[in-house]
Amino acid sequence: MANLNTDSIKNRTYDAIVIGSGISGGWAAKELTGKGLKTLVLERGRDVKHVTDYPTTFKNPWEFEHRGQVPLEITKANPIISRCYAFREDAMHFFVKDQEHPYVQEKPFDWIRGYQVGGKSLLWARHTQRWSDFDFEGPARDGFAVDWPIRYKDIAPWYSYVEKFAGISGNKDGLPELPDGEFLPPLELNCVEKYFKDQVKSKYQDRHVIISRCAHLTEPQAIHHQQGRGKCQNRVLCQRGCPYGGYFSSNASTLPWAAKTGNLTMRPQAVVQSIIYDDRKGKATGVRIIDAITKEAIEFYAPIIFVNAAAINTNLILLNSTSSRFPNGLGNDSGVLGKYVAFHNYRARVSGSYEGFLDTTTDGRRPTSGYIPRFRNVFKQETDFLRGYAAGFSANRGQYQSRNGLGAELKENLLTPKLGNWSVGSHMMGETIPKETSTLSLDPALKDEWGIPQLRFNIGYDDNDEKMVKDYLEQISDMFTKAGFKNITTSDSKQAPGLDIHEMGGARMGKDPKTSILNSWNQMHACKNVFVTDGACMTSTATQNPSLTYMALTARAAYYAVKELKKRNL
Amino acid sequence: MKRRTALKSLALVMGGTIALPAWAKAWNADILSSNSNWLVSPDQQALLAEIVETIIPATNTPGAKDLGVHRFILTMLTDCYEKSAQNRFVEGLKELDETVRASYGKSFVTCTPAQRLEILKAREEVAKILPPEKEPFFPFLKNITIQGYLNSEYVMREVYKYELVPGRYNGCFPVTASAKK
Repeated sequence: MANLNTDSIKNRTYDAIVIGSGISGGWAAKELTGKGLKTLVLERGRDVKHVTDYPTTFKNPWEFEHRGQVPLEITKANPIISRCYAFREDAMHFFVKDQEHPYVQEKPFDWIRGYQVGGKSLLWARHTQRWSDFDFEGPARDGFAVDWPIRYKDIAPWYSYVEKFAGISGNKDGLPELPDGEFLPPLELNCVEKYFKDQVKSKYQDRHVIISRCAHLTEPQAIHHQQGRGKCQNRVLCQRGCPYGGYFSSNASTLPWAAKTGNLTMRPQAVVQSIIYDDRKGKATGVRIIDAITKEAIEFYAPIIFVNAAAINTNLILLNSTSSRFPNGLGNDSGVLGKYVAFHNYRARVSGSYEGFLDTTTDGRRPTSGYIPRFRNVFKQETDFLRGYAAGFSANRGQYQSRNGLGAELKENLLTPKLGNWSVGSHMMGETIPKETSTLSLDPALKDEWGIPQLRFNIGYDDNDEKMVKDYLEQISDMFTKAGFKNITTSDSKQAPGLDIHEMGGARMGKDPKTSILNSWNQMHACKNVFVTDGACMTSTATQNPSLTYMALTARAAYYAVKELKKRNL
Repeated sequence: MKRRTALKSLALVMGGTIALPAWAKAWNADILSSNSNWLVSPDQQALLAEIVETIIPATNTPGAKDLGVHRFILTMLTDCYEKSAQNRFVEGLKELDETVRASYGKSFVTCTPAQRLEILKAREEVAKILPPEKEPFFPFLKNITIQGYLNSEYVMREVYKYELVPGRYNGCFPVTASAKK
C-alpha cells in the first residue's frame, strides 16, 4: 500500500504546473517545457485541438441555420455572454454558459469567459501594442496605485522575444508613446484612413493615426512555418479558430510547440480548487483540482507553479488558497489581494461619413483596424482627469440596395447594389484607475457546481471615467470635424465593465511586499515558487490591448523561475 | 441537419472523421427540437411560399420560393423571435388569406401572379400610411423576405461574390464604372 501511494504521488508530480492554457498559460507552457521541465498544464474546460476542433471554420454564411444569429432560447438563458460581440452562431461554442458558472454582481460586471484549451486566445481581438515608459511610470507620476517595479527597458527584450515567435504585423511608426517592435509587414490603412491620418498630422502636434499592430502572419517566417502556421488569408473569421494558424493562439502556436518537446502533459477538465501551501516547507507544493466531469478531487505536485487562469479566476484561486500561514489567500500578507482591480473603458463611440474618395472602395477583408495611440496627458498632465484613452479608427465603404417596390422591380433593386459614402467610426479604450475599493472577493456561502466559492464583483466606473468619456467624445468629434467628416454622431453605451474583456489587477506587482503581491519578476513576495503572469499581475492598465504584455511578462518570469530553480532558490 | 452535413464535409477536407463533440450536441439539441415544431400548417407554408415568391419572383434568376426563403422565415421566427412576434406573424398570414378569399373569391395561392402582386402592392400602400403598431405584419414580412433572399447562397455567391478566403485586402480599390452610383 505504501508503495502504491508513493507511485501514485510520483505519477502526479511534475517539474512545473501551469494553471490555465490561454494566452499567458500557453506561453508559460512553451517556455518551461522548452527549458526541459516536465510541465503539467491544468485547463478547466474541454480540449480544443488546432483545426480539428474548429467545427465552423470552413462554413459559408448561408450554411448557418440562422445566418449567424444566436437563437432566442440561448440568448435568454445566457444574457451576460450574449452581450459579447463575438458571441454569434459561428463561435458560441467557445463561450461558457452563464448559468453553469454563476457569480455575484454587487455592481454590474459582464464576465466574458471561454473555458477550453486555448481559452480566450481563440477569441481575442489580436491587437498587440507595446507599452512605453509613459505607461509604466503612470502610477508614480500621477500618484495612484503603486509604482511599477519594472520599466520599459526590463520588458523590451521580452517583447521582441515573444513578437518574433507569435508573429506581429505592424509599421515602424517611431512614436515614443507606442514603441516599435519586431514587425512583419503591416496591414494597410485604406485611402480614407490615410487621409484622416494626414489630416490629424497636419492639425495636431501629438496625435497619430496608425495601422494597429496585430498578431497576424502577413509574411510568415521560418519560425512560424516550424509551428505549422501559414499566412493570414484575410478571412476575418478568426473567432471560429483559424485553420491556417494565420493569427496567434495557444492552440495554433505555443501549446503544440510545447507538446513537441515531449515535456508537456495537458490535463483538460481540471477545475483548480486551490494551490497547496506547506507550512513546514514554507512554499507551495502543488495544486488541488476537481475533475470537471467526475467531481473527483486530485492533487498534483511541482516545485514551480505558474498561475495563468485569466485575471479574475487567478484572483479566485489565490483567495481560495488558504492555509495557517496565509489565512486570507495565498501570498496575501499585504491584504491587497483581490483589490485594485481595473479594466478598460470601452463605452464611447463616434461615427460619421465622408463624401470624398468616391472613386475608390476596398477589396478583400482586413483583420484589424486603424489605431490612435493615447494623446491625452502623455508628456504632461493637461486635463482635469488622470491618464487617457487610445482609440480604434476605421473607415469602410458599404454597399446598399434600394428596398423599394415589390416583385420584379424590388428584385432588380436588390440585385443592383450601390456604393454609399464612406463611413468612419472610432471606439474608445480608456485607462481606468485601479482603486482599493474595486474588489473581487469570495462569497461566504454561495458555491459553484464544483464546490468552489462564487466570486463577488464590486467594480465600477468613477468620476475620472465619466470625464474621460466626455473628453473622448469631444476630441474625436473635433478631429472628425477638422477632417471634413459629416453626420458625426456620438454615443455612450454605458455598458458595464467586463465587456472590454481587459480585466486586470488584484494580485499586482510592486516593489514593496507591504503593498503588493508580486515582485518585479511576477514572483510572489511571500511564496517564492508561485508566479502570476496573467492580467491579475497588472499594477495599472494603460490603454493598450494587454495580451502582448502578458506574453512578454510570462516569458520573462519563466526565464527567471528556471534560473532560480537551478540555483536551488525555489 | 445542415450542420451535420457541414461537419461531414469538413471531415472530408481534413481527411479524417470528426465525431460531433458533446458540447456541439448541447447547442444543437435546442435548435433541432425547436425546429421540428413548425409554427404554421402545411397550407400556410404553401401560402407563405407563394407570398415570398410574389415579393421576389423568379425571373431569369431564381426567386424567393426556389431559394427556400419561406423556410428560412419559419426557422428564424421559430428560433429567434419572441412568442408575440410569432403570433403576430401567424395572425397576419391568416388575416391576409381571409381578406383575399373575401375580395377575390379564391385563395392567394390560386390567384394569378398579377393578382398576387396587386394584392401585396395594395397591402404595402396601406402599410405605408398606417402606424407600425396598426400594421406590424407587412413591413416585417417584406424585411425578413429580403433578409432571407440576400443571405441565400445564390445571391451571396453569384451576385455579391462572397469569398470565404479572400487572401487579400486592397484599401484603395478603384470603383468600376458599372458600380458607381
